[in-house]
Amino acid sequence: MPELTIDGRKVSVPDGTTVIEAAEQLGIFIPRYCYHPGLSTAGNCRMCMVDVENSPKPQIACNLPATEGMVVETESEQARKDRAAVLEFLLANHPLDCPVCDQAGECDLQNYYMNFGLYDPRFSEQKVKKEKAVEVGPHVMLDQERCILCSRCVRFTDEITKTGEFGIFNRGDRAELGLYPGETLDNPYSANVVDLCPVGALTERSFRFKARVWYLSSTKSVCGGCSRGCNTDLHHVTDRPHLNDAERLVRVKPRFHAQVNEWWMCDEGRYGHGWIDRDRLGEVRRRTDEASRRQVESDWDAAENALAPALAAANGRLGVVVSATQTTEELFSVREVLGERFGARIVVAPQAPGGKGDDFLIQADKAPNRAGARLLGLSDAPADGVESLVDAAIAGELDSLWVFGEDLVELVGAEKTRSLALSDCLFVYAGTNDNPTVSLARWVLPTAVPVEADGTFVNCDGRVQRVGRAFAPLAQARECQRVLCELASRAGVADAPSWSTTAEVFAAIAKSTDAFAGMSFESLGEQGALAASREPLAEAGTP
Amino acid sequence: MSFAHLSTRADEIIALYEYPQAAMLPLMWLVQNDHGWIPPEGEAWVAERLDVAISRVREVLSFYGMFRAEPMGRRELKVCTSLSCRLRGSEELLEAFSETFGIRPGETTADGAVSLTKVECLCACELSPMVQLDERFIGPVGAQDTGTIAAIAQDARSEPTSPEAAPEPSPFIDSSGPILSTRFADPGGVWFDAYTADGGYEAARKVLTGMEPKEVIEQVIAANLRGLGGAGFPAGRKWSFVPTDGDKPVYLVVNADEGEPGTSKDRHVMERDPHALLEGMLIAAFAIGAHKAYVYIRGEYFRPAQRLQRAVDEAYEKGWLGSDVAGTGFALDVVVHRGAGAYICGEETALLSSLEGSKGQPKLKPPFPAISGLFGCPTIVNNVETIACVPFILSHGPERFAAIGTERQGGTRLFCVSGHVERPGVFEEPVGVTLRELIEERAGGVRGGKRLKAVIPGGLSARILTAEEIDIAMDFDSVGAAGSMAGSAGVIVMDEDTCMVRTLDSAAHFYADESCGQCSPCREGTGWIHRIVKRIGAGQGKLGDLDDLLTISHDMEGRTICVFSEAAAWPVQSYITKFRGEFEDFIRSGRSLQGARSPEVSNA
Repeated sequence: MPELTIDGRKVSVPDGTTVIEAAEQLGIFIPRYCYHPGLSTAGNCRMCMVDVENSPKPQIACNLPATEGMVVETESEQARKDRAAVLEFLLANHPLDCPVCDQAGECDLQNYYMNFGLYDPRFSEQKVKKEKAVEVGPHVMLDQERCILCSRCVRFTDEITKTGEFGIFNRGDRAELGLYPGETLDNPYSANVVDLCPVGALTERSFRFKARVWYLSSTKSVCGGCSRGCNTDLHHVTDRPHLNDAERLVRVKPRFHAQVNEWWMCDEGRYGHGWIDRDRLGEVRRRTDEASRRQVESDWDAAENALAPALAAANGRLGVVVSATQTTEELFSVREVLGERFGARIVVAPQAPGGKGDDFLIQADKAPNRAGARLLGLSDAPADGVESLVDAAIAGELDSLWVFGEDLVELVGAEKTRSLALSDCLFVYAGTNDNPTVSLARWVLPTAVPVEADGTFVNCDGRVQRVGRAFAPLAQARECQRVLCELASRAGVADAPSWSTTAEVFAAIAKSTDAFAGMSFESLGEQGALAASREPLAEAGTP
Repeated sequence: MSFAHLSTRADEIIALYEYPQAAMLPLMWLVQNDHGWIPPEGEAWVAERLDVAISRVREVLSFYGMFRAEPMGRRELKVCTSLSCRLRGSEELLEAFSETFGIRPGETTADGAVSLTKVECLCACELSPMVQLDERFIGPVGAQDTGTIAAIAQDARSEPTSPEAAPEPSPFIDSSGPILSTRFADPGGVWFDAYTADGGYEAARKVLTGMEPKEVIEQVIAANLRGLGGAGFPAGRKWSFVPTDGDKPVYLVVNADEGEPGTSKDRHVMERDPHALLEGMLIAAFAIGAHKAYVYIRGEYFRPAQRLQRAVDEAYEKGWLGSDVAGTGFALDVVVHRGAGAYICGEETALLSSLEGSKGQPKLKPPFPAISGLFGCPTIVNNVETIACVPFILSHGPERFAAIGTERQGGTRLFCVSGHVERPGVFEEPVGVTLRELIEERAGGVRGGKRLKAVIPGGLSARILTAEEIDIAMDFDSVGAAGSMAGSAGVIVMDEDTCMVRTLDSAAHFYADESCGQCSPCREGTGWIHRIVKRIGAGQGKLGDLDDLLTISHDMEGRTICVFSEAAAWPVQSYITKFRGEFEDFIRSGRSLQGARSPEVSNA
């Protein structure tokens, strides 16, 4: 445990710690471009140079092992000069096209110039010309002129995906980042290079000219694209509908979690969020007359008036299909209200067949919360579980069938779903997005998507993580627990729950379910917590 | 386009290396020699054979100057335009060839016969101005020497002959000894029988049969042998850094990537006394516990590589290499590995990157090669000339070697004196020889009775010295104390008519061309400096440019992974500082380098 001094403050660090890491422990930020804790050390940008006592030359903090008694200055006159000199070199051939660069506002050339540069530029020669706006893959755009050749992206495709698409070709100031002619950057994790790029050389095609980053708000969240539960930041905008084609969610960025996803996420998860703003169910709908089975717009009051008496009279003749894409809080609300109060038979829709996983982050189960359903005692239905429930409804053994989020047409087929629609069973659909089943229901109840309601997913390793709330439910959509509490109350249930927030639902879960004992929304924080469970939660474990 | 017929040879090559990717450069040479260039199908074939991403192959193809990404002429004429040749009229020579063939540099004649290429220093500065026709060095070739130019052009249009069949010129190469050059007189190279008849391999036998590695290292330390590649680090001490208790293999790597403009020494050792190098390698390998050694030879050195390979083959045949060297039980394998045109590969860690099959980019230190070098194993990299001194030390004793030199540096060096001297050549001299003695006595003084203006004492990267600063001994410490460096012992002499703007233009172009592009200050700084100097040379300079050049070069210095940035900065700083008035006059006059031919050429 060497003890060293950085900017006059002492810190003890484990053997092998570098100065850049030791400084971080003191809250001292040393600027860097090529250094990234998830990649090998390149040491080429020279931005992190620090002044070390008894060293004739400045040293790069990213490759400097901390040693006993070392004295480091990051703010000395020399260190400031060193950094400003490096910045001037990096910006010499940079096109300075910030006004049309998507990176502007989150660019480390801009940030560092303001924080560590502020020199009077001397460069007045012709800049080196390179390729701009090269579509290197389905998600990524390359601008060679903006590239500072830090090689983070090259190391990512070498070391993390091991796909080796990127290379730096030529030498001297003709060196340029690129792909072998005809190759495409299309590995399942390709867009991580955009996050890694400290400048505007690699940008997201989907974000191109969509919004200036300073108009975006950010919410900490968790990806719902599979059971890995990669930690994310959601970038969204609601007060400027002219941006991002009026969609609220603009982009998703991975957020570091040492045990879940480190710095990365897959493209499938990153770009699989279009459903949050598209094809949403925005209004309560009901079937007008039995003959035409036409749906018209309705409202919550009417829905509750119609559905509460039906629930009150259910007397156990009630079936419910829930989805492992629902949050733990939604599933718990269904279990507590429809299961406990009205005696519903609840089945969880099984894992969709054909999902592919890999040995890195991507899991074969594309539902984010199957582990959460299991912890609540809502075990997967047998293979024909959903079908037998629908059969029972068609056969008149159930008075009502509620389907949450799942597409029955996909699960049991169009014919059987139509038979259900024609039967006497009260078929209620509650969900977020349109699908072929929706138009066949007698009632359609629009619910909030997880990031409109907050809530938790339990990932494949049993980690309980909050999805956060980025914006309010769209149009008439309501949080699931609110819908169910009000129905229970309207149905005259004596001990109807009265959760007004998702946090309260979670508190109820923690109180009633051993696996969540002692947890609260606050204690979950940004890193989540492992559920206490003796059972394996999923086939796939940690990578 | 098939490469199947190369597969057997490829397998043999790959088998020479610990890791397949290390065979990258040899396989690319194989493709290029077969096809004349490296087509995309060839890149794909190399990638597949080595199991690497094709982008790695393209990185290598685009990094090294000798690999051809497109078809070229059946023969290639390279004209050196680095400083030593430039001082003797290479720009005019290039123009003459350009006119003769009717093409510009970088182009190929319409009939596909000849490509004309402008290249940086080929390290045959004793021949300057010189050219290379395919594998063969030719020089000196004066720009006014129309007969020679016509003969070379004629040769270039005909079918190639084998390099050994077409003799290279014999410049002035000293063979007076006492250490390195005693066998240089034989132009055919000294082969095994002659070498052993001369007492060769006796030092190695003595070491392998009767000494401990530690004793060998002690003797080399006592001899004050310094690293003659240019850094001057004590060779024996370097050897002592190799861990003796490690479980990883240890490698000896000989740096034969001679490339410092103005230098010409290692080539002569490999061509004229290759077994001395091999014997030195045997002793060095024994001292550091290595059983595998590589010699990394710059790609332009065809004949040195061929001769060294022949010596290696002989040594295997005679039992002086292989699994049981001379019956002593000591094992050593030697692989001759060729570079492909990149000055930076002379930097030891860049050399290792290149040897591992990547772009020749220097590696971060720590770790140092003696701890973690080639393939992550302990590695000692020594220059050819350094290793070639070792047999003498072991056979004649360290005291004898040390006595030849100065107090802190033993032995002799092969000094190459080029530029404006009467008798350019390669001279073996004790390291304490003075710069004045080298210029005035050995090289015959300044050409045409002119006055001396300036000297670069240790290769292009060394700070320039004025005519008043040449009374210094040429050992590392003395030249260092004089504010420059002994470097690679390449002495470049400039007479009173030399234009320093032109000299700086040559240096700035070289470093901008050769920067590996890895570290921001060097990549951007070398290009920036070159563009400013070009602008000054074009008559568009401003007086403020001079201070900018000084501060930009200062900002590069010491802020990069390797010392290339210093090498690029020192010429700029020293030329401008010592000849500032001349630069200011040039800028004020509005003259351009293109407009008025430099006066030195008229005296050629």
